[in-house]
Amino acid sequence: MDRKVSRNIAHIVPSLLLFVALALPFLLLILQWLTSSNKMTLFSFFNGPNLQLIGKSLLISIIAAMLSTFIGSICGFLLYKFKFPFSGFYKLMLLLPLLISPYIFAVAWKDGFFWLFGNAATVYSEAGVIMVHTFVFFPFAMLITGSALSQIHSGYEEAGLMIGSFRRMVISIIFPLIRPAITISFLLILIFSLSDFSVPAFFGVRTFTTEIFTQFSALYNFSLALGQSVLLLVICFLLLLAEARYLSDAPFFSVSVKGSISKKYDTGKRKILVHSILWALLIIVLLIPVFILIVQSLSGRAFFFSQALEFMFPAILQSIKLAFAGALLTTAVGLWTASEKERRGRKFPNFLLLLTFIVPSTVMGIALIRYYNLPALHFIYGTSLILLIAYLGKFGFITSRIIGNGIKQIPVSFEEAASVMGIPSNKIFLKISLPLMIPSLFTAFVLAFILCLGELGATMMVYPPGMELMPIKTFTISANAPEALTSSMTLVNLGVTVVLIMLFFIAGKWIFNKFQYA
Amino acid sequence: MPKIILEHITHHYGKKEVLRDISFSFEEGLTTCLIGPSGCGKTTILRLIAGLEKPSGGVVKINGTIVSENGVIRVLPHHRKIGFIFQDLALWPHFTVYDNIAFGLKEKRERNIKAKVFELLDLFEINDKAREYPHQLSGGQKQMVAIARSLVLQPEILLMDEPLANIDTHLKGNILRHLKNIQQQQGFTMLHVTHDHHEAMTTGDYMLIMNIGKIEVSGSKEEIENSSSQFVKSFLNT
Amino acid sequence: MNKNYLNLILVAILILTGCKNNTNEVVVYSTVDQVFSEPILKDFERQTGIVVKAVYDTEETKSTGVMNRLIAEKDNPICDVFWSGDPIRNGVLQSKGITTPYQSKQTSLIPDLFKDKDNHWIGFSARARVMIYNLKLISPDSLPRSIFDFTQPRFKGNFSLANPLFGTTTFHIATIFEKLGDTEAEKWMNDLRTNGVVVATSNGDVKKRVMNGELAFGLTDTDDAFEAKKESDDVDYIFLDQQEDAIGSLIMPNALSLIKNSPHSENGKKFINYMLSQEVEAKLAISCAQMPLIKGTVVPNHVPSLDNIKPMQVDYKKTSEKLETIQPWLKAWTEK
Repeated sequence: MDRKVSRNIAHIVPSLLLFVALALPFLLLILQWLTSSNKMTLFSFFNGPNLQLIGKSLLISIIAAMLSTFIGSICGFLLYKFKFPFSGFYKLMLLLPLLISPYIFAVAWKDGFFWLFGNAATVYSEAGVIMVHTFVFFPFAMLITGSALSQIHSGYEEAGLMIGSFRRMVISIIFPLIRPAITISFLLILIFSLSDFSVPAFFGVRTFTTEIFTQFSALYNFSLALGQSVLLLVICFLLLLAEARYLSDAPFFSVSVKGSISKKYDTGKRKILVHSILWALLIIVLLIPVFILIVQSLSGRAFFFSQALEFMFPAILQSIKLAFAGALLTTAVGLWTASEKERRGRKFPNFLLLLTFIVPSTVMGIALIRYYNLPALHFIYGTSLILLIAYLGKFGFITSRIIGNGIKQIPVSFEEAASVMGIPSNKIFLKISLPLMIPSLFTAFVLAFILCLGELGATMMVYPPGMELMPIKTFTISANAPEALTSSMTLVNLGVTVVLIMLFFIAGKWIFNKFQYA
Repeated sequence: MPKIILEHITHHYGKKEVLRDISFSFEEGLTTCLIGPSGCGKTTILRLIAGLEKPSGGVVKINGTIVSENGVIRVLPHHRKIGFIFQDLALWPHFTVYDNIAFGLKEKRERNIKAKVFELLDLFEINDKAREYPHQLSGGQKQMVAIARSLVLQPEILLMDEPLANIDTHLKGNILRHLKNIQQQQGFTMLHVTHDHHEAMTTGDYMLIMNIGKIEVSGSKEEIENSSSQFVKSFLNT
Repeated sequence: MNKNYLNLILVAILILTGCKNNTNEVVVYSTVDQVFSEPILKDFERQTGIVVKAVYDTEETKSTGVMNRLIAEKDNPICDVFWSGDPIRNGVLQSKGITTPYQSKQTSLIPDLFKDKDNHWIGFSARARVMIYNLKLISPDSLPRSIFDFTQPRFKGNFSLANPLFGTTTFHIATIFEKLGDTEAEKWMNDLRTNGVVVATSNGDVKKRVMNGELAFGLTDTDDAFEAKKESDDVDYIFLDQQEDAIGSLIMPNALSLIKNSPHSENGKKFINYMLSQEVEAKLAISCAQMPLIKGTVVPNHVPSLDNIKPMQVDYKKTSEKLETIQPWLKAWTEK
């Protein structure tokens, strides 16, 4: 009986902690919004023009999400289903657009268009927003469909090949099998695109998110801005609810522990075609913007790289430290929420992370400030702990999903076999489950690290006074600095991230070789 | 005296009923084979005896003590002195053969671990594989490791969930002979789930033929062969 | 199992909370570009030994971070002094009851025109609204001389204005509404639309578009114009509306506000006194060509002096109020 009580406490206490630390700030903010404004103005945003604007924003994001899912799935298919030289190189390089902030992409592309065609008017449009979002977000689709593809058991494909041609097999076997993955990446990118304001704002396209931003920043109309945010939240929530209801078993950046089950094909005569497609994509989504940045950084009156490095140096160390801690925390919490969901059937903690995942950054910042800015809680709000909470809110859902998929791949019988032998459950976790989860824990950690390293929206709102962080500094310095310095700083930022990714990649190779069990 | 007693066991997965009012006694030191078409609830019976699941209704007794009843587990799996061989074998992929077998002994801080492990490896003639990992073994070798792992803690009950599927009859015969010898030495009670009635006929002292959540017929080999049940006849003739 | 998590989280916390609690500090939130504001803060630190903890933001994103932060922190302020690039935001904070008046010997050095009458904000070093143009696209003698010339058909589609909902532009437009009256001003704005004004995201964006030759000219602030001149020989700038009967150029001072109930208000006052000095104004004149407001401050040659330009006569408080009433109209205008 005692055991049962203690087990329940072990579940309830962390759940409660997560709820109090993360979800309560938002609920209180919404409550405040509902009670403070009078009933007339409360839903004043619920009118024709606003709904039309939502429709337009949705349309833009749906197109961007469809395009990036399409491109990403093709990349995933080429990179994860075929063997050819340098596929690892492509996989790595095509991930890099994720690391450049959409805003910088937008600026680089605008300048690129101006240089190429002498006129940038075409990108100042819905089409420009769709283009930039497509280029920035397609790597998500590549990762998600790629991991789904590498989990298809070779037997299914071989059985299909006995009956029909390769093309028929792809259409009638592979495609239906990865359809959940495609749907997930579509929804995820849709949400990312919907909640980004920097690109439409820069291109002068009015969307629902820029509207919220204007209410917050030009008119300081909190009540209306919050109301609109809640509406956005509800839309994202409904989209994810569809995901949770129908697709909860779909793969999501999962790392295969049984690396050899999937079948890989030779490119054969189509080698050149595959390489050309990948190179074309590489040039468009990565090399052109980076090239523009390099040209800009060199075209100043002075050489700014050393100055950029000098500006960035203290921020780099602090950022890495914080991103490391953030990744550690989100991975640890993700591990816990994922085990609760996958092994104990308790979905509540995971659900909390999903809720905070879809909250717009500015709203998250305001909610956290209102909640944590109390003298007694100054050890949180005045220190980097507040940033860790923001990171957890923003990325906990992603780590939880990656680890959850890792756990799903470990047969329950592995744990049961040990439990029948009388191995205590903490030992089973340490000696059996944890070692088998290492590849997915590692992936979750790396992704969380990169995301924390680049997080700007919420960080901007809550970072402790006096702290220097890489994205903040690039952003605030670049405001009125010469273009060459701005571009140099962006490149330093990108360079640091790439070096870290390389290190992770090397560490990852070692870890995967050591802990991947055929 | 019966080793294991099931009294009015019912069990559900969600809304689906998998076992309906099952009562049965398993005699000590004997082998009972559970046979029946797939999905009829054989594996569930093993898991309820092992304590990996709690029965929705009814009582499970081991050595006369109630170990589970009506949705509650009274005795945890590892206090039931049970060895369990899973259908997928559940060999831990990150442990060597030696570590797979020795893990339980180490946890129990037993002495002479090495001697105990090699005694079993010798018995199954796989002592040269001690340092290899599960994925480096053949199907038959894996099965022998799984059996060795479950026997090393000297269980009083051995539960086998179709671990011998997909290997050739010769090898299967060999493994079963080894098992029979060990059982005679150690005297454990064995429950063997299989859907192969030939296998059941050779190893089982008792038979329990199941059909969709209930026991169709049970008894000694002779009794089963002479059964008048239409289901049993058709099942045995396939 | 849960122990392990706790350990992990504890490690994370320990790695991070290695920060000392320093009481001899002042917390400054600044919307002035970090390149210019940071050196001044560092100098203050060196001279007084008071540690400055700063939160920076930029006008480029309309200072959303700092402003929303100050508003959200209202009940329990963290910040001591708000240093804004223009007095509008201080006005917003004042109306929300976030600032507190402050007077000293130093504040009296600033002319009354450039501070709040109750000293909720005190101006110093000013920027002006100017017109930046690209020499390759338009010759100096065919330039517009007044913002009201922008509606002439010969400039159609070739000039830019930053989003009038934000920053110094919004204030500039509000002064024009104040001067002309709503009907006239609305007509002028609509004429700008008809004449194909390009609405840029920010003043920095205006500067960039003129600099790289996308557009012939645009309205921006002096600091942007100076940066542009440093970067390129193709651009220059002029003050508009300088003729005898014209309205003059809008002057936008930096503005400091002491935050109400701030944790280190004494240090905050020291900081404000330090900022309101010839020394700081001279430094800002050198680094970003801001025009000193304290008489007798020495400035480099290229920095214009307030003595030589005709400033627009502005009541900042009245204009702030005007701003609030015209915002819905401006919002509708930008959405056209």
